[in-house]
Amino acid sequence: MPQLNPEFFVSQLFWLAVFFTFLFVFLWRVSLPRIATVLEKRQNKIDENLSSAKELQEQSMVIEKKINDQINKAKLETDKKIKETINALQEDVSSQLSSLDKDLEKKVSDAEKEILKSKDDQMKNINDEIVNITKLTVGKITDIELSDNELNKVIETHKGIFN
Amino acid sequence: MAAKDSPLKQFEIDPISNIELGGYNISFTNSSLAMLTTVLVITLFLTLTVNTRSIIPSRMQLISELMYNFIAQLLSDTVGDNGKRYFPFVFSLFMFVLIGNMVGMVPYQFTFTSHIIVTFALAAVVFIGVTILGFINHGIKFFAFFYIPGVPFYMHPLLIPIEVISYLSRPISLSVRLFANMLAGHTLLKVFAGFVVSMPFFTGVFPLAFIVALTGLEILIAFLQAYVFAILTCLYINDAYHLH
Repeated sequence: MPQLNPEFFVSQLFWLAVFFTFLFVFLWRVSLPRIATVLEKRQNKIDENLSSAKELQEQSMVIEKKINDQINKAKLETDKKIKETINALQEDVSSQLSSLDKDLEKKVSDAEKEILKSKDDQMKNINDEIVNITKLTVGKITDIELSDNELNKVIETHKGIFN
Repeated sequence: MAAKDSPLKQFEIDPISNIELGGYNISFTNSSLAMLTTVLVITLFLTLTVNTRSIIPSRMQLISELMYNFIAQLLSDTVGDNGKRYFPFVFSLFMFVLIGNMVGMVPYQFTFTSHIIVTFALAAVVFIGVTILGFINHGIKFFAFFYIPGVPFYMHPLLIPIEVISYLSRPISLSVRLFANMLAGHTLLKVFAGFVVSMPFFTGVFPLAFIVALTGLEILIAFLQAYVFAILTCLYINDAYHLH
């Protein structure tokens, strides 16, 4: 069995020592730190991303809260404005209604006054007509010429009958 | 068994260049060449694949990282936080044995892990290192490692020698396990390869098929033995910290 031949034992041990020492030192000083750096870098990156994701989530929650607040505020404001408008319209309508009422009342009272006036006028005219008719009738029947004043006096005294 | 086509011929050492130092023969041999190949493969692979140091790794970089994490996990599982200091050594050991075995799986390549002197040297480094570590950590109390608490006192004369022997046989079991696995596997492959040539007509395809299957098995064993070597080293380091 060649394994038990001591001829090359020293040679094998020597080269094993040389190569294994070289391998150990090289891996220890060069290769392994490199891989460790990469792994560490990746872990840092993952942690960083996670923390920034968390931060963004918090920010988005703050923004959401703001939006909700603003929506609520806007709702309240619209409600208020709607109420205000309704009130203003109601006031407007009622004031216009009252002014219309006033106008109507005035017009009614004016019309009444006019009616009264025209009634008076008519009455006056009726008086005159009565005077003329009476004058003519009396003249035709009796030949008595009645003066207007006398007639008026008579009519005044009997006015209560017509009214 | 020194015939020309003996299955053990593949383990013979041929000097490539004869070197002598202080009266010792330290010729650069095919074994040394396999070691050099192994070291070059490991260092070049681990250096070039991680060269870009990209956060999103390429496939090759991922392999390096997987190996790193594999051994780091192994150490932290068996030894804990104390194990981090020995990571470069355990990693080098694992890679050296693993790639040494794999280089040996390449046809016509020499398998240096099939030589008891090499595996014994590696195991001895582990054994001596762990023993020194035990004495550094526990001083003279390290001998308590051989004392099993909770056993009737009259059993100790029997148990202590057993514990000592089992401790001293660690480097032997560690080295022989790897050496024997490699020796047996490669011998078996060579034997069946001989059948492929010597069997009549087309019947040679049967041993050939067997060789194909066996090669797969050998690659598994190559990995498994490197893993066993590494995990036992981890366990020994752990023993040096926590006696029982």
